[in-house]
Amino acid sequence: MASHSAEIRGRSFGDRLLFGLVILLALAMAGPVLYVIALSLKDNKELMVDPHSVFHMPYTIKNYIDTIGTSNVFSWVLNSFIVAGGLTVLTLILSSLAGYGFARLNFPGRDALFVIVLLGLAVPEQAVLIARHQIFSWLGLHNTYPGLILPGLSSAFGVFLMTQYFRAIPKELDEAAILDNASRFRVFWKVLLPLTVPAQATLGIFTFLGAWNDYFWPLISATKKEMFTLTVGIASTQQNFAQSQGIGFLMAQAVFAGAPILIIYLFFQKYIVTAVSGAAVR
Amino acid sequence: MAEPLTATAGNGSRAKSVDIYAPQWRNFLFVAPYLFIFAAFLVFPLFWGVWLSFHKADTFSSGRFIGFDNYVRLFRDGIFLQSIWNTFYFVFLTVPALALIGLFLALCLNRQTRSAAVLRTLFFSSSVLSVTIVTLIWRIVYIPDMGLLSMIYGFFGAKAPAFLSDPDLAMIGIAIATVWWCIGLPMMLFLSALQQIPQDIYEAAALDNANRWQTLRSITLPSIKRTFVLVVIIQIVFQFQLFGQAWLMTKGGPNNLTKPIVLYIYNTAFQRWDIGMGAAASEILFLLILVAAMAQFLLTRRKADA
Amino acid sequence: MTLRKLFFATISAAAVMMASPSFAATELQVQRFFGACDADFGKNTDVSKAVGECGIITSLINKFAADNPDIKVNVTTVEWPGYDQLTAQFASGDAPDIVTIHESALSDYQSKGLLMPLDDLLKTVGVTPDQFTDAAKQGATKDGKIYGLPLDNWTMLYHINMGLFKQAGLVNADGTPMLPKSPEELLAQAEQFKQKTGKPYFVQNLANETALFTRNLYTYLFQQNSDFFADPKKVKFNTPEAKKVVEMYKAIYDKDYTTKNLDYAGAINAFLAGEGGVQLNGTWVVGDYNAQSEKPGTALNKGGYAVYPYPQLFSGAHAQYADGHTWAVSKKDRTPEQTAAIGKFLKFFADNDFEWSRTGHLPAYKAVIDSAKFKALPHRDTIAAIATLGKPLPSQVQRQFAIQDIVGEEMSAAVSGQKPVDKALADMESRVNELLANL
Repeated sequence: MASHSAEIRGRSFGDRLLFGLVILLALAMAGPVLYVIALSLKDNKELMVDPHSVFHMPYTIKNYIDTIGTSNVFSWVLNSFIVAGGLTVLTLILSSLAGYGFARLNFPGRDALFVIVLLGLAVPEQAVLIARHQIFSWLGLHNTYPGLILPGLSSAFGVFLMTQYFRAIPKELDEAAILDNASRFRVFWKVLLPLTVPAQATLGIFTFLGAWNDYFWPLISATKKEMFTLTVGIASTQQNFAQSQGIGFLMAQAVFAGAPILIIYLFFQKYIVTAVSGAAVR
Repeated sequence: MAEPLTATAGNGSRAKSVDIYAPQWRNFLFVAPYLFIFAAFLVFPLFWGVWLSFHKADTFSSGRFIGFDNYVRLFRDGIFLQSIWNTFYFVFLTVPALALIGLFLALCLNRQTRSAAVLRTLFFSSSVLSVTIVTLIWRIVYIPDMGLLSMIYGFFGAKAPAFLSDPDLAMIGIAIATVWWCIGLPMMLFLSALQQIPQDIYEAAALDNANRWQTLRSITLPSIKRTFVLVVIIQIVFQFQLFGQAWLMTKGGPNNLTKPIVLYIYNTAFQRWDIGMGAAASEILFLLILVAAMAQFLLTRRKADA
Repeated sequence: MTLRKLFFATISAAAVMMASPSFAATELQVQRFFGACDADFGKNTDVSKAVGECGIITSLINKFAADNPDIKVNVTTVEWPGYDQLTAQFASGDAPDIVTIHESALSDYQSKGLLMPLDDLLKTVGVTPDQFTDAAKQGATKDGKIYGLPLDNWTMLYHINMGLFKQAGLVNADGTPMLPKSPEELLAQAEQFKQKTGKPYFVQNLANETALFTRNLYTYLFQQNSDFFADPKKVKFNTPEAKKVVEMYKAIYDKDYTTKNLDYAGAINAFLAGEGGVQLNGTWVVGDYNAQSEKPGTALNKGGYAVYPYPQLFSGAHAQYADGHTWAVSKKDRTPEQTAAIGKFLKFFADNDFEWSRTGHLPAYKAVIDSAKFKALPHRDTIAAIATLGKPLPSQVQRQFAIQDIVGEEMSAAVSGQKPVDKALADMESRVNELLANL
């Protein structure tokens, strides 16, 4: 970084211009969120009469109390955690097993199967959605956690990523163990798996965020309010904007809904950044 | 992406350890769990969808075989063609913006100061929010009279543009919200690419008295070319699947100008109950993404060869 | 031996205790639109205190649950109109027991055999079709059977800010608002309004809206005797009558006689803030707006609030587009207890239709509509006429909500100048017919 700091030292006009631009962009990032927070702290009736009142006192936490008292936002958050967490764990397990299988072991038809899985990468979720919805109806899986988790589990991305990662590990490591008569599973579990932690982190974070943000599938599968995930739950309140609940209440609900994942992000930021970067390096 | 590694690892050890790598059925057990899920919930639905697309089927009754009729109807439907165009337009609006702003931010924030770290956190934070929260936030920004935008314009005595209802602006409005939402990942990818560039190249350049612009042009940018391509392709594939923002912010309006293919599929299958035609539209979407994926494959191939 | 007996006794006692709560409570899955307002009415059981659609429906259901502790009512609130979700639920076999369905959408689900005919069930709780108003009975009857318990009939209205009307000089000697009698007069009055007040005559939610456009078009087609759905499988929109209506709304748009970029909530806020003379909205806001007008300091309190049916602008039938809300029951295997609980629920709503009519909707029961109590509600004298004016689409027309979207999209495109009127009407007709031909 030495040369970089050398670059920074000369504070030219250009530097200041760039700095200004970045600050402007930062304001554009933060502004809408701050506005939403400010709205959430206003009395609904006052907002109706004078929208500009958002910029001055009095503020109130009534909307937050109402949210805690009456909103379903907590059960939505919980459902999202169950679905995203469950999917992440299962994806890690299945992808690691399959990745090891494809990268290290041989079985009849292996290469053909791997090519088919790779082709699966090119199938967008939306292209199979209608058929999947019918199939899940037959299986009675709608409005269940497995119904929300299984579609994401079929994604080929994890297997692809893990296979690549296992292939990059030097073969000498496991060959030695196998020549020592360790079982294949033992080699996988004891020798190789610990080495794949960075890849697991990358895959885990992408899977979790993807599931957390998924909207289309829960929209058509989780149709009972007990099973609403956060995305569907928040969306269900949006259409009747201001008509019934009041803007302030809706915003408080949104803040509640957004807070858990933001807090997690802030806590695990370092790992997330490393993990995301990990995806780019290869 | 890791093909060279694979090749060497494969060749290096095969000769001396034939016994270890002989094909064995029980090895299949490692991939079986995933393959089962893959077959049941991806492969089968894919073929089932193709089957549906050749049938006149509605939500509550699977109908009769009608050959290519659904496809013919699709391509006669101006709204479907419009939705394809809308999708490309959206990709065109968002992907370059994401790549360029992401690169710009990465270049500016690639330093080890506290403020840069805070700003990096800020720019990535929106990426963790759900699409429904993002659209809620941006509808509140755009909403006439009480939105943030109209407040800001009002401060300067002007009238804010109607981002979600003006035919010329609606897609741009959605694109802005999307760039706000997705900017974190491109920035991170560029940042990590920048950190991969060996420092000694920069030191050499400094010795040569190269100015910053020259350094950027002749060292930095060429070294992250691959990442740039990667970012563009990831974003094309991702933005091509636009649904939530359009559905929640404009419902595809005004006059279908913000209706992407995925929303068309939703409309057809779940609002008009025309499962067969919805499935046909899904297959078109699949083909379009497949082309993008092939392009990616060829592009990265060429890069690797060169 | 005794030990074994004790063991079994304990087990069975435990089983009874575990099971008894689920025996005691019959669970009803209820799904509705009308919005969520739990913050204000989530625990309210005093229905008379509630205002507006959301407040009253929430309080009514709360009251029912409180009166019937043996029935557990599990309410899901969906975004209006909720049919995407309902369709997905029916497709997946997870439909709610009782669900709000518009009269105009009943036949979609009824024709697929998804709904339960209610005649017998209603008879057991003493509700018979002859108690319904004619409009409600007609709307809830499909193939000779009742498929929804009617809640109301509704239509669109002119909600008027009388303060601004006075300022515009659009008030008769008797204090009633001056309403137009022809398209030309409408434009002239709107111009006068704009000149005098500097505000648009209409407050309309035109941003990404389809329903309002469609209802406006249907109403003025009715008033020109245009039988556009003579054949329920084939519509005629490309007609001189339709062109007249669209051109009238286009003139209103082009001359800035209306707000343009507001969505539904925005339009309500704008009207309540006094930003225009007439809001085109349904019967369902009468109660809310009246409550607002009684609050000192609000825009509607200044000069008063009045509400009227759409003015008769053409020389044909006196009619305007109407629809109604019903509670429909999904077809499912149920225990007698569950069926009885559904019957109780429906009976409760039939009995409490007066409370629901306080929203502004037209009651679905003769006894309520004829009652002095209903007639004494504010503004009912001026809107009573909608009981005879209201006219739905022919009930055989399927997918009326999908049609509404197409009609609204095309009309919106024409009104805002994105498409020539003729092209929009031609597209409207061919798109709707394409939809209907492929059901």
